Amino acid sequence: MAPRIELDAAATTPLDPRVREVMLPWFDERAANPSSRSGPGARARSALDEARARVARACGARAGELVFTSGATEANNLALLGAARARAKHGRQILVGASEHASLREPALALAREGFEIAWLPLAADGSCDLERASALLREDTVVVAQVLVHNESGAIHPARELAKLVRSRSPRAHLHLDAVQALGKLEISLPALGADSLSLSAHKAHGPQGVGALVLAGNPPLAPLVFGGGQERGLRPGTENVAGSVGFGLAAELAESERARFCAAAERWRAEFLTGIAGLEGWRVLETAARVPSILGLVAPEPASEIRRNHLEARGILTGAGSACQAQKSALSPSLAALGLSADEIRRFLRLSLSRTSVECDPALVLESLRAVDEELSKLARSAR
Amino acid sequence: MSAHEITLGAPERVVVRYGELALKGGNRADFERALVRNLKDALKSIAPVVVERQRGRMLVVPQGRVEEIAARAARVIGVKSVSPAWSSPPEPEAIAAIARAVFLDALAQLPPGAPRTMRVRSKRAEKNFPMTSVAFDRWLGDRVLAGVEGVRVQLDDPEIELGVEVRPEGVHVFAHRIPGPGGLPVGTQGRGLCLLSGGIDSPVAAWMSMKRGLAVNFVGFHSFPFIGEASKQKVIALARSLAQWQSRTRLYVVPFAPVQLAIRENTPEGYRTILYRRMMQRIASRLAERDHYDVLITGESLGQVASQTLDNLRCIELAATRAVLRPLIALDKDEIIAIARRIGTFEISNVQEPDCCTVFMPAKPVIRGEVGLCERAEAGIDVEGLVSAAVAEVEILRIERSA
Repeated sequence: MAPRIELDAAATTPLDPRVREVMLPWFDERAANPSSRSGPGARARSALDEARARVARACGARAGELVFTSGATEANNLALLGAARARAKHGRQILVGASEHASLREPALALAREGFEIAWLPLAADGSCDLERASALLREDTVVVAQVLVHNESGAIHPARELAKLVRSRSPRAHLHLDAVQALGKLEISLPALGADSLSLSAHKAHGPQGVGALVLAGNPPLAPLVFGGGQERGLRPGTENVAGSVGFGLAAELAESERARFCAAAERWRAEFLTGIAGLEGWRVLETAARVPSILGLVAPEPASEIRRNHLEARGILTGAGSACQAQKSALSPSLAALGLSADEIRRFLRLSLSRTSVECDPALVLESLRAVDEELSKLARSAR
Repeated sequence: MSAHEITLGAPERVVVRYGELALKGGNRADFERALVRNLKDALKSIAPVVVERQRGRMLVVPQGRVEEIAARAARVIGVKSVSPAWSSPPEPEAIAAIARAVFLDALAQLPPGAPRTMRVRSKRAEKNFPMTSVAFDRWLGDRVLAGVEGVRVQLDDPEIELGVEVRPEGVHVFAHRIPGPGGLPVGTQGRGLCLLSGGIDSPVAAWMSMKRGLAVNFVGFHSFPFIGEASKQKVIALARSLAQWQSRTRLYVVPFAPVQLAIRENTPEGYRTILYRRMMQRIASRLAERDHYDVLITGESLGQVASQTLDNLRCIELAATRAVLRPLIALDKDEIIAIARRIGTFEISNVQEPDCCTVFMPAKPVIRGEVGLCERAEAGIDVEGLVSAAVAEVEILRIERSA
């Protein structure tokens, strides 16, 4: 098989060898429970704290304000459910971006079953969060607002700072949560500058290990924990900490920041070359958004369904994504793509390319060549169809 | 007066009963040997065991983990039922003491509200024993129930049937019977090759064939890159689940896209589905000839889908060079699903993964296929070349047996 080119970085990224290196001792000779009052335990605690500081630094937060979780899904759940339940006495309304990842939509739906009132924040024509509509929807009794910072299917950057200003003026009691999973390493993230109460991160989307993420908090917003136990992570996420994972995340976050400018420049060049090339292919459409990160490219391909095209590209050693990987298994059409204005038929043909520090090094011409070859293979089928 | 009270430890051995085998005259010894082999093989990952053949019974003597051994033995094909058992010295008083302890233990495990009914059923293969079975049952019943309140003796379908087997090799006492699948030991009837899709039916067909004594391997047809890796992994998961019922399992994965493309390009659309299936039969037959399988097995059920009308089944079957078994031919979908649930393949089959790509599906499949038209259509493709290429490219996976 041809060498593997992974263009599905929005789903996951390869573990950086430097990250793997710093994790290994924590599985072996340095493994210890950070709550243990022993030498090894104390050293694990200090490594965990250092990792916490590193991740916090990558998003302009203070170390004491970061809760390690199993990933961004858990962080999003803790933010939405935790903030809503802690503020239930102030109001019942929750505002969630209509196009969001299932890990924001589903906890919102769970809250609806608890009696909260859910309003969906629509997208404007340019794929960004519709601030005018948001302004109309925000109320005095809105208690949680949740939005992604970078959309995982289109790459659109949402105007979070403006949204924060609106939320503060219209809904002073609301907790504003941002899902920054696709932003780490692609966009400067500063929690104080964004003006949000929390943001969620995932290590494996930034060359870190799977199974670790974080909820970064501004100050000490009221949150009701989802699980109860030994009080770790300020009681918000009790359970013996994932030391190796957190240590890996610490370095991954630091590397994401230090290599961000170089990565973004390389991704812009890659994207420009790819877009020039794809313009020469028949039947392809690029999802354009107002502001976007360079590393995610949403595309609508010609017939047939993109799953078949993706399999053919895989046979040529190129891995691509079809929207959110978490959605890929469901036969249901992605609600977030529908919110971006795609028809059911276009959603079926949606294909996403997303770049990591590894895959940005590949030649876009190689990818275009494979796309063209697969187009030809599949168009033959379309022609002979009776 | 109550028998001497003893404290009951864990059961020490497992009585394994088999049904039909006992009737099979000439082949009986072979069948029993096969069952012993299959039992040992299934149990070895739990604990080392000795399997003793006795008349109409087997006695499994494990080194520990008896309850697990019993539960696992109850999932060995050919086994009718299984009882974890306690042994006793052959004296009536000693038997009564153990029987009472076993009974009290079973009584304590009865769900609240269950009728507290019991009977004793003893069997004597030991002729020197001082009482007849009927007299012994009654005498034991009195000893076991002495001083126990609220329990009624009921000969017909009691909640607790206390079994006592007195044999020259030893005395066994038990109160639970775990039903097994029954059937004939896997391997005693030959080797089958089952065409396995990701659906609900074919795994059930495979299991039913195993239950009639066939050792079954699998062949899956994978149309990558029209169908993704997840569909192949689903077929592997099904083969892995079915592998628990036999000692060795193989899965052949046939690259099928070239066949489907050739058929799609060169034959009338309505016949495509029949023609795909005829090619599957040919490829499976070729593998069967090469690797010595006696029969092919499919999950076809009469009239379930368009390709399963009598006419179409005939068109498909005529492409095979081995006999084709269809254990599900007369079962309703509900009946098939019930078995799939019982053997644990339903949850795997029920995950939605395509097993045929939409580009290959005909808009209107032919319902009444004609063999002559199939043959005429196949004149437009290189049947032999496609079959040979598919067999040459087949991937063989050895499926590990899990406990």
